[in-house]
Amino acid sequence: MEQLQYYFKISLISIKRAPLPYLLTVLILSLGLGMFFANATFYYRLNSDPLPQKSDKLFFPMMLLVPGDCDSGCEPPPVLSYSNVQKLGSSGIPTAQAAMYSSDSYVRLDSKQQPLPVRLRLTQRDFFQLFDVPVLAGSIWPDNSARYEVVIGKQLAEKLYGTADVVGKSLLVDDRHFTISAVINPWQMLPRLYDANNGSHISETEQLFMPLETAYDLNYMSATMSRTMDNTDYRQLATQGRTGALHQLQFWVQLDTPAQQKAYKDFMLQLAQSEQAAGRHPVHINNQLPALRDIVRYFGRESGDVKAYALVTLLFLVVCVFNASHLSLNRYISNQYEFSLRRALGASRWQLQQQLLVDVVVLTCITLVFALLIGAASIQLMNYLWPFNRLFASWDLSLLSALLLLSLCCSYLVTLYPSLRASFGALNQQLKE
Amino acid sequence: MIELAGLSKIFRTELVETHALRDISISVNEGEFVALTGPSGSGKSTLLNVLGTLESFEQGDYLLDGKSVKGLSDRELSTLRNEKIGFIFQGFNLIKDYSLFDNIELPLRYRGFKPAERKRRVEHALETVGLAARRDYHPSQLSGGQQQRVAIARAIAGSPRVLLADEPTGNLDSLMARQVMELLDQINRDGCTILMVTHDPDQARRASRQIQIIDGQLSDAVLYDPLAVA
Repeated sequence: MEQLQYYFKISLISIKRAPLPYLLTVLILSLGLGMFFANATFYYRLNSDPLPQKSDKLFFPMMLLVPGDCDSGCEPPPVLSYSNVQKLGSSGIPTAQAAMYSSDSYVRLDSKQQPLPVRLRLTQRDFFQLFDVPVLAGSIWPDNSARYEVVIGKQLAEKLYGTADVVGKSLLVDDRHFTISAVINPWQMLPRLYDANNGSHISETEQLFMPLETAYDLNYMSATMSRTMDNTDYRQLATQGRTGALHQLQFWVQLDTPAQQKAYKDFMLQLAQSEQAAGRHPVHINNQLPALRDIVRYFGRESGDVKAYALVTLLFLVVCVFNASHLSLNRYISNQYEFSLRRALGASRWQLQQQLLVDVVVLTCITLVFALLIGAASIQLMNYLWPFNRLFASWDLSLLSALLLLSLCCSYLVTLYPSLRASFGALNQQLKE
Repeated sequence: MIELAGLSKIFRTELVETHALRDISISVNEGEFVALTGPSGSGKSTLLNVLGTLESFEQGDYLLDGKSVKGLSDRELSTLRNEKIGFIFQGFNLIKDYSLFDNIELPLRYRGFKPAERKRRVEHALETVGLAARRDYHPSQLSGGQQQRVAIARAIAGSPRVLLADEPTGNLDSLMARQVMELLDQINRDGCTILMVTHDPDQARRASRQIQIIDGQLSDAVLYDPLAVA
């Protein structure tokens, strides 16, 4: 311990000896790390698993159950019709299942109040179980039948009522009276993978939830993807939406075990075959069952910009490491005499390397502080330029640990070659000079 | 104490090969004070560096305390330098940001001495060289002669068997040079073997034996051997 303190003392003396080159080394390295870290924050968040405990158990069934010939590629559509959802939902195999889509609406407490625009999720009872939505008060709908009851987010409740204690209270949704049946705790599923097929997974989770059947009855149109495969009028959901080939529903199932997953795949195959036999499905069978954790990649919704920036900032970091290494080399070469002296006086190379490892730790600590400041500033700038990214601009312990590790590695790289040069130099020449 | 047998050292570059030392065979007994003399570039400093294990050699053998240093690992050589050899350089080689205490303590730290033992040894070494009152000074606050005395204190603090001095008075005026030489005499009288490179014939005569090196080889001429005179 005493020797460790001594190494720290030597390291600080060495910094004091030439503070400007050292500061320049730190700044260059911090700049590279900070820029990389800012981008890595978004990359990490966008690619993180919001439900690690069940992301391999939630699946998004898709089938090529469309009338007429399929388009080029013959891929199953990423949204299902109401009747297809009914068929897929009849298996009894999943632990939970829910169909859903999103729409826009206005809410207010009474007709005198200014309406507030909100994004609605029109879904079924199991949605909350599927995605582990935390319920604060009240109860979720007991079944999937139509009802004038909504589930509201705590933040929206507080915004409208000034309190979260709103179960049983009335709310005007597009000027229709609804009763609040439950309040959910603040909840952000980031990324919002249940909406990845629409490419909407980088927006906030909804604050208002309405039963799907009610939404169909009230002709709530999809705010994202809607495909009509026949002459169904997409505005007439109440009369045509349940029977026509209007594809706009997302459907998620929870299959906890491999046996369930196999059984569900078999069920999908049988369903496709029976539909084909019935003449409702003239094209070839193409069933897909991607898991939640693969859904972004499956739909090719990975952000090309973020990938490109990640690559650019990585290259920038490499350039910074090279530059910092060069500065560091100059610094160590100017101190080479001292290394040689220490070796002449009995320090082994390993003892010198111990000293240099302490230099690495000191450089890491100082660099980390600067890198965090630069990273935070870069994130602020990116939030300003791309406000929708704001949701993904937060750090957690694993991100900070990764930055610490990266700083340590970069500091080691910056110190490694110069230190080897310094500690393996010819002793006699240095001491003679 | 020191045995060199047929030792040769060659410096190689892409174009030239320089035989810095050729077939050197020397024997130095414990407690001797040996002066290495010779013209500039004759190889005496190279010989001192080889003796101090700061440089390797190609041929021959070097035995220190009866043990060959050939083939020793970096760690073993470091331990050897740290425990058995003390260095005194012409340019003092003190670290200017460190106090005298810290400079002298440096080799003792690598030896693994406890803080109390290090303190005792540093203070004793400072007393020996007459600088006990200036332990917290920095080298830049001292004269050249005082700096060389600090370097001597650093060299003797670990109680080495051999002291290797490379022109220890080369940067000093005559008064200070005399003080440094008196100090070396005293250290030698206390039992420490000293090998000193010098150009100065007067200083060389203070040694118990002179070895002259010319063109990397031992000269046949015996310059001065007080024992022989006696």
